[in-house]
Amino acid sequence: MIDARRLTRRDHAIGAALCLGYVAVLLYTAPDLAMSRDESFYVHAAKNIAAWLSELVTDPLAALDQSRIDPAWRYNWEHPALMKLTFAWSWLAQAHLGLFPRDSLAFRFPGMLTSGLLLWLIYAWGASVMARRGALFASLAFATMPRVFYHSHLACFDVPIAFFATLTAYAYWRALSDRRWIPVLGLVFGLALATKHNSWMLPGVFLIHFAWLRADEARAGIERRTSPAWLASMLIIGPLVFIGMWPWLWHDTWDRIGAYVSFHLRHVHYTYQFMGVSYFEPPLPVSTPFVMTLFTVSLVVLALAGAGLVSRRSELRPPWRLGRGDSTTRRTDLLWFGCLAAPLLVIALPSSPIFGGTKHWLTAYPFLTLFAGWGLLAVSEPAELGPWMGRRWAPVAFAVLCLLPGVVQTRHSHPFGLSHYMPVAGGVPGAADLGMNRQFWGFTTGSLTEWLVAELPDGGSVWLCDTTAGAWAMLQADGVVPRNIRAARSMSEADFALVHHERHFAEVDYQAWVAYGTSKPVHVLVYDGVPIVSVYENPARRARASSH
Amino acid sequence: MAEAGRKLSLAAWAWVLVAAVAAFELLAHPVIQAAIPSEDSWEEASTFVRARFEPSDRIVAAPHWTGPIVRRELGDLTSLRNAALPDQAGIGRVWELAIRGATTRDEAPALERDFGGVRVRMWPARSPKILYDFVAEIEHARVELETGEGPLPCPWTQGRQAQGGLERGPMRPAYRFACDQERAWLWVGPTVLADLELQPRRCIWQHPAGPDPVRTTFDHVPIGRRLVVRGGVDYQIARRRAYAPVTLRVWIDDELAAEWIHHDGDGWSGLDIDTSDREGSLATVRFETTTAEPFARLFCFAASTQAELGRD
Repeated sequence: MIDARRLTRRDHAIGAALCLGYVAVLLYTAPDLAMSRDESFYVHAAKNIAAWLSELVTDPLAALDQSRIDPAWRYNWEHPALMKLTFAWSWLAQAHLGLFPRDSLAFRFPGMLTSGLLLWLIYAWGASVMARRGALFASLAFATMPRVFYHSHLACFDVPIAFFATLTAYAYWRALSDRRWIPVLGLVFGLALATKHNSWMLPGVFLIHFAWLRADEARAGIERRTSPAWLASMLIIGPLVFIGMWPWLWHDTWDRIGAYVSFHLRHVHYTYQFMGVSYFEPPLPVSTPFVMTLFTVSLVVLALAGAGLVSRRSELRPPWRLGRGDSTTRRTDLLWFGCLAAPLLVIALPSSPIFGGTKHWLTAYPFLTLFAGWGLLAVSEPAELGPWMGRRWAPVAFAVLCLLPGVVQTRHSHPFGLSHYMPVAGGVPGAADLGMNRQFWGFTTGSLTEWLVAELPDGGSVWLCDTTAGAWAMLQADGVVPRNIRAARSMSEADFALVHHERHFAEVDYQAWVAYGTSKPVHVLVYDGVPIVSVYENPARRARASSH
Repeated sequence: MAEAGRKLSLAAWAWVLVAAVAAFELLAHPVIQAAIPSEDSWEEASTFVRARFEPSDRIVAAPHWTGPIVRRELGDLTSLRNAALPDQAGIGRVWELAIRGATTRDEAPALERDFGGVRVRMWPARSPKILYDFVAEIEHARVELETGEGPLPCPWTQGRQAQGGLERGPMRPAYRFACDQERAWLWVGPTVLADLELQPRRCIWQHPAGPDPVRTTFDHVPIGRRLVVRGGVDYQIARRRAYAPVTLRVWIDDELAAEWIHHDGDGWSGLDIDTSDREGSLATVRFETTTAEPFARLFCFAASTQAELGRD
């Protein structure tokens, strides 16, 4: 079946330019973001792994012993190895070659690279099946989603799994018509498994798609049907790559895989505020991922994705609409739709653990933007609105107009990516009125460092609330805060106490009131007029300052 | 031909619609930005309130999420009781600083001014007068823990405050009655509780020890028309609605005045005890907390004796 065109060098040149351009922007803007909680855990794990890798190079036999593997890999055992390995290699490169101007960038660079590669992949897959203009729009629309932009900076797994999940879907799609891609599919599925557990849903999506494809072929009376060999590749090569990359699983393999799976199936519930309610146990409202998508993705991209779905509806038709002798395709749009819908539906399930953040369904967004690419073409190509339409610049201007809201909002969202909401929600203040989640992970402390450094010229201590000691240590290592401004263990020991404003953090606000005998913060970090972090001053420090 | 024309028309409309959505998003952004009050506006509004503030006044923020900004500007005027109000007594006037058309009250204010999008409104309050605030007077109380071998006094001590943090419960203050070194939670003292609605409540932490009571006794308490008691369990615990109820008994001059059973899920609640037959007298008031199972009973209560309504 021929339902795609071969990519040219020009296509890859465009993809590479997207990749490199985006990574450059991420590198440039990353210093504005302090490390998030999760990043600090992965940094700790990566440093352990880096030490083990060093030993693996110098004394491989000793390093492969369980007594060496376990201490190096035990910390953060609940997440697989691939990205932590890349963080570790990048850190080793930094330690030996000093490649990056800041240590934090060394850990973040691999994640940034997957963000860039994902743009390339979105463009490439899009350009395989639609006009380049649509594919380019899809890639840029993804790049200019504020939440995607924030997560693209991080030494985390959420954008990397979006990349590897999309790459796995692409490899599956290629494998349907080209046997050479069958082992590649197993390999990249293994990489996806080794990145994050979102990958578990991919075989299910592919199986539904494949069953549909085979039903098409049966209805059309095609005798030589698409091979299911891809499934064997995923089920055999995938797990081998997954285990092979993760030394923690090399001993007590089944017990540890069982513990890993169990950890995520019985994941703790985070407290997450949605429409004024702090949810701490299931069910989270079914509407959550859909409303959050509406509130955090450009409305025009959503509108175009809707137009794209409508324009491609014939490709989503059920098999029984086919007749004998009809031609069949790989049902690319159906695959995309499955990859778009599955992550959203999994989070929407009433039985799913409460995660909340959009990062948990980022894997859907490459496919959302690919449909937006179709939508752009569907809307702009046949429209004739007077004499100026049909000119070369008109569709380009239309595409730029449709990208601009995302560009403007992404620029405005930085460095408050998780606090940002689109105009349809009323912006940041509108979302605060609606009672939407304000932030998580404590990274907004990075926006306070200038104030803290100015207030503590001779050093001091800060109680960090949701910011981890590891994230603070990275700010010190990066030279953002001097080492004589310490992270305090308790409010009473600190010169200043921070309170990150999330609704269920109210108790921490009140703790500061009692600890310092006042409800008056000395400083409030605001974003679009909405409080993000309050800073309380210890009266003991005030007394010391006034006695000097 | 006619069908082709209709299709073109639909495509054109779709184009216009999408362009309009893009234009909406682009234009809405500066509109949203323009509606955000400046720091100067907050400062001017605060200066206005500060100049007219009286000690019994209360300052509130609307919408509630602007609270940190209002407290930054005027928090020094606000006592912990007023910031974490246990009940509505003792309030002379209410000042509201509000943006975005939000309000905490429906009735017409006695005063209203606008400062660049920050609206200041004031209402006189009709609230009872506080004769004795047990939370404010806790330092002068006596605390004891009943044991099988008789009552064990809990001395007023200075100790380490709690570290603070999420899911750590109300802050353990430096000064408190400490009942048991082995059970760090068995102390009595003033703190601020996050109630089931996450509202702050200034109160006395009195975690029950079990079926044997923890007692806090106040002497020479001026009695008014009512003794108002409010209490609740910490948000992080109460929201699970999983643990044993807490019983609070109130004794006046060794006479049981009221028994109140608080269940998780009740939220910040309580009772008003009619003390009009003792009005004007001094009495000894005792609060006892008990529970069948003391696990996670992060109970905190506030109480005051109150007289007639204040001014209009």
